[in-house]
Amino acid sequence: MKITLSIFAVIIIFTASIFAQGFKVKASGEQTFNFADNKNQATFFSTTPLEDITGLSNDVKGSVTFNVGDLKTLKGKVIVSVASIKTGIEMRDGHLQSAGWLNTESFPEISFEIKKVSDVKSAADNKLTAKVTGNYTMHGVTKEVTADATLTYLDESEQTKMRAPGDLLGVQAKFNVKLSDYDVNNKLVGQKVSEDIEVSVNIVGSNAK
Amino acid sequence: MNKNQKYIAVIGIILIAIALFYWYSQGAEIFTKTQVLIDKTTELDRMLGVENKEYVDKFVFGLLPSGMSSIMEIISTASIAGVVVILSGIFIYLLRNKRKETK
Repeated sequence: MKITLSIFAVIIIFTASIFAQGFKVKASGEQTFNFADNKNQATFFSTTPLEDITGLSNDVKGSVTFNVGDLKTLKGKVIVSVASIKTGIEMRDGHLQSAGWLNTESFPEISFEIKKVSDVKSAADNKLTAKVTGNYTMHGVTKEVTADATLTYLDESEQTKMRAPGDLLGVQAKFNVKLSDYDVNNKLVGQKVSEDIEVSVNIVGSNAK
Repeated sequence: MNKNQKYIAVIGIILIAIALFYWYSQGAEIFTKTQVLIDKTTELDRMLGVENKEYVDKFVFGLLPSGMSSIMEIISTASIAGVVVILSGIFIYLLRNKRKETK
């Protein structure tokens, strides 16, 4: 009976270790990464009949917490300040932030709150790809979206210290949103902006306390 | 149209053609830009699997003005063509043949 139970326990542990997709790095257990520096960025890419528009924000803050051995435990939130979005044309930035568009005064932040992680695949010991589902809030409207994300974990080294102390987590994620889903008028300075906007984030967080 | 008026018209057309040629050589952007997006991805960014882009100050001559808040935003093929057309019109009007009064 004892042998049967032992074999059963070994099978469960072995199966769990196969299905628990995580990083194979020096760190272990639960880690929290804070995204704080001004090199983090979120971009909002759109097209108009006349030209492509890239809105770029360097004011991206937030944090994520997860068990290094199991990315499915990932929880956290990323926030972008609407007033910080630049498109390369001052007049267009003004329109983007006006009441007719993103309405910075009433809705100063765009946020993404992680709810669940699925489809975790290992691209390397320190690199995982996954589908991250969460609540995306823009213009005061919240909808569930799923992002394709790539997460890269770097143990602290002389090179990583140039960016921040502690281990670093790089996150690149992309997803599409429909402007009409968020009650945003898709006209910008007389141009009709595409209904679909590609949102992407390129952020690096540190677990230094 | 007299000889002087023809000169003005030809000079105006040449100036507009030069503006169009210059616009095309600068990348044929629709709007004048005072900032452009450049890639600033470092080796560490690549190791972390992220990209880093940044808007930097750079003037790019466009077909249409991008705003009215600075002279750089106004400069464009369309605004130059507009000024040339207005000035040519004024000169062509001033250089018209005056009718001789009949007694």
